[in-house]
Amino acid sequence: MTTSLGIATLCGSFIFPFMIRMSWGKMVDNWGPIGGWMAALFIVGTAWCLNHGISTPMITQSGAAWVDQGLAAGVGVWVASSIVGGNIKKSIPKVVAAILAGIVGGFLLSLFL
Amino acid sequence: MKFFRSFIGYLIAGVVVMAVWGELGKFGIFGGFLAAGIIIGPLWYMNHYVNLTGNLDDASFVDMGLAIGVCGIMRDTFMTGTSSLIDSIPTILLVIVGSALGGIVAAAIEKSMAKDDTFETESPEPGMNELELNNLKNKN
Repeated sequence: MTTSLGIATLCGSFIFPFMIRMSWGKMVDNWGPIGGWMAALFIVGTAWCLNHGISTPMITQSGAAWVDQGLAAGVGVWVASSIVGGNIKKSIPKVVAAILAGIVGGFLLSLFL
Repeated sequence: MKFFRSFIGYLIAGVVVMAVWGELGKFGIFGGFLAAGIIIGPLWYMNHYVNLTGNLDDASFVDMGLAIGVCGIMRDTFMTGTSSLIDSIPTILLVIVGSALGGIVAAAIEKSMAKDDTFETESPEPGMNELELNNLKNKN
């Protein structure tokens, strides 16, 4: 991976959790659960175009193991939530559950894909 | 039970996204939008609106994206071997650093926005700036 592609990858993964923190909660406050669908379409969908969808995407895959922008969402939202007052210790069981579920899910997919 | 219910919520998210999104994404940009709507929408509703994953209000928020990201990496690691994981480490590290920076900046901006909100509730009419409000206070 070249330096320019590295900077692009860094910035691409900056944008996605930033957009989520800025708009997702507000959309749900204003429109209820439908706001979550709007956010899924126009935050996840639009950021997906930028980070994965276009022909030379912002997140460059350096290897064969697919690094999804979901990882950026998970890490970025957790960091932001910790800074604005979330209790890190109480969130550890969920972090463990998410990582374990990812590993088991990956194994499950390798059985049939 | 608490652990199991988080685990199963995150597991379904990871499996559905990593199995279906790629196929829909083959239709190009609009396939991606379709995937976002029909996959992330219902999964977000189940995991975070109904709160199947059981995130507590006062704990740091663990998004299902974390499980989806790990699932994508582990899927290809199981399917093509550890060498593909090692090749992907630069991307993984850059994504983690970039998203942590995004989270830090977003948190700083949220704090500044919270100050704006308290000012908005004090002002008698919307659109009044700080100077005007201070002048009004001094007159009274």
